[in-house]
Amino acid sequence: MSGAMGSLPLAPASGFAQSSAAVPVDELPALEGELTLYLGRGEGGLYENVLAAVEERNPDFTLNIRRGPTAALANAIVAEAEAGVRRADVFWAVDSGAIGVINEAGLARDLPDDLTRQLQPGFRYPQWAPVTGRIRTLPFNTEQLSAERVPADVMSLPESGLAIGWAPAYASFQSFVTAMRLLEGDQATADWLRGINETATSYAGELGVVMGVERGEVQVGFANHYYTLRLKSGMPDARVAMAFTKNDAGCLVNASGILALAGGDLPIDFIRYLLTREVQTYLANEAFEIPLVGGVATPRGLPDLASIAPPEIDLTLLADLRPTLDLMREVGVL
Amino acid sequence: MNLQKLKFDSLIPALGLAAMLAAGNAAADGPIGDHVNDLQAHLLEYGDEVVWLIEQFDGIVDTYESGGLAASNPEAVMEHWEAVIFHDAIETNYIPIYASIWQGLFGVRQAIEAEAPVADVRVQQAMLEQSLWQALGAVKMAAQFQQRGLTAVIEVTEATTPTETLDEIKQRLDRVVAKYAEQLPEEATSIVFDTYLTRFEGVEGILIEQDAELVVDLEVDFNVTLPQAMESGASLDNVRGVVQAMQSKLDRAKSLLEEAEQNRASVF
Repeated sequence: MSGAMGSLPLAPASGFAQSSAAVPVDELPALEGELTLYLGRGEGGLYENVLAAVEERNPDFTLNIRRGPTAALANAIVAEAEAGVRRADVFWAVDSGAIGVINEAGLARDLPDDLTRQLQPGFRYPQWAPVTGRIRTLPFNTEQLSAERVPADVMSLPESGLAIGWAPAYASFQSFVTAMRLLEGDQATADWLRGINETATSYAGELGVVMGVERGEVQVGFANHYYTLRLKSGMPDARVAMAFTKNDAGCLVNASGILALAGGDLPIDFIRYLLTREVQTYLANEAFEIPLVGGVATPRGLPDLASIAPPEIDLTLLADLRPTLDLMREVGVL
Repeated sequence: MNLQKLKFDSLIPALGLAAMLAAGNAAADGPIGDHVNDLQAHLLEYGDEVVWLIEQFDGIVDTYESGGLAASNPEAVMEHWEAVIFHDAIETNYIPIYASIWQGLFGVRQAIEAEAPVADVRVQQAMLEQSLWQALGAVKMAAQFQQRGLTAVIEVTEATTPTETLDEIKQRLDRVVAKYAEQLPEEATSIVFDTYLTRFEGVEGILIEQDAELVVDLEVDFNVTLPQAMESGASLDNVRGVVQAMQSKLDRAKSLLEEAEQNRASVF
């Protein structure tokens, strides 16, 4: 059976294995000069607060920001490079798939080892830095189910007999399906999609899934962890808790990420600010995102991530959504 | 003319600044002319067009009165409207009145096609004329803002905070009403779903921390109430009513988020 957190909120949990440590902002060099950041849209404005704070702290630093859907910005960066221009110095994407697009095009700079070593083992990549993480979860209705009834194997969900809610058009769900394809193969994924599709209730987004679970419209759903935490924050008695599958796409840990396109110290030093103890703590507390540097507490209500068994997968491999979308259309899910 | 001038003066204070600046990236059915970026230089032209339109509509109704449906050409109501550049000016600057104009155009046309009593057609005609004058007043005010550089800034600046996003959502909902008024329900529905996925989804996570029930209400509005109202062919007034109720909820959401932001911890 799956692991579960059924009694939110809990005391802050410690982070991943403590093999790395966040750097306090006071130890960073001041930023001087001008950068253009391409910023993927969709995290509710809290990244903007971080960026404003970095600028405020560095009066000789100017940040020009172009905002847009993450995938569109990634495509723009590649198109600009093909046209022989580079407008973005840094790219902060809300999902790692878009990072993969840039890496595949060979546009990202190598990051220094001392920077990547600040990240948790398993989140160290030579050409991009995960900023914060999110876990796929199975939110379940606590009045209708116990945690033990929720399968620990995501592939067995179609045969579970449970009333399931999902948001197949949602980007995070599609990344999860991509991970399933990579881990289980296309045929198994197609069978799984067909099985779920036979009985599942569709929602437009994953917050809708979590709310549907809470209302008892469905017993269990698929959603990123922060939706449940946010709902519990606004509605402490909400009848929903999170379950986690083991070693499969059902508990994929995905991440937002940043990479440098321009040379010089400034883009790298800017990235360092996002990995500071202060920024990581802010995003964990305010956005319920998972800090990926050591020594920073995970969001309240989330279990110690050392107790969770996500699949081992190179997140940048989630970049190519096309086969996933083709498969989802082929089986009639989209 | 003095009466018309009085109408402008009394209308302008009633028009909300936020809605006046709702230009956004307008997407009319045809290309928007460059004149919308220089409203002041075209105000006389717009005024002439409004007078011309009113004369044309009056002529159509007069013909209907004297010769009945067979003699009149009610489709010309739309054709005249599409022919003027004032069409672009109001669509890019004050969507709520733009929708009212379309409602009036269809009101006149459908009343004639239904061979309604002339008095009833005149009622629709009067409502249409009123909307046109209101629209001209709105465009004049927008021209003032534009000259002060305000509209240009608004047009190129994307919402960056949750509260700005909520304002943008309200403006998009105005466009939904406008497209429904143009009898383009599929386009209107497409705007609703796009707004939900690309705008509301980005703010509902933080909003749910403040008022989960409000998010539930808006989720239902976006995904059920409003699309179903349009799919079922509800009247424009009903659709407008749904949108206005949503906009009230979005105002409440904005207040909640502003308060939450004031209490939020600082980053450093």
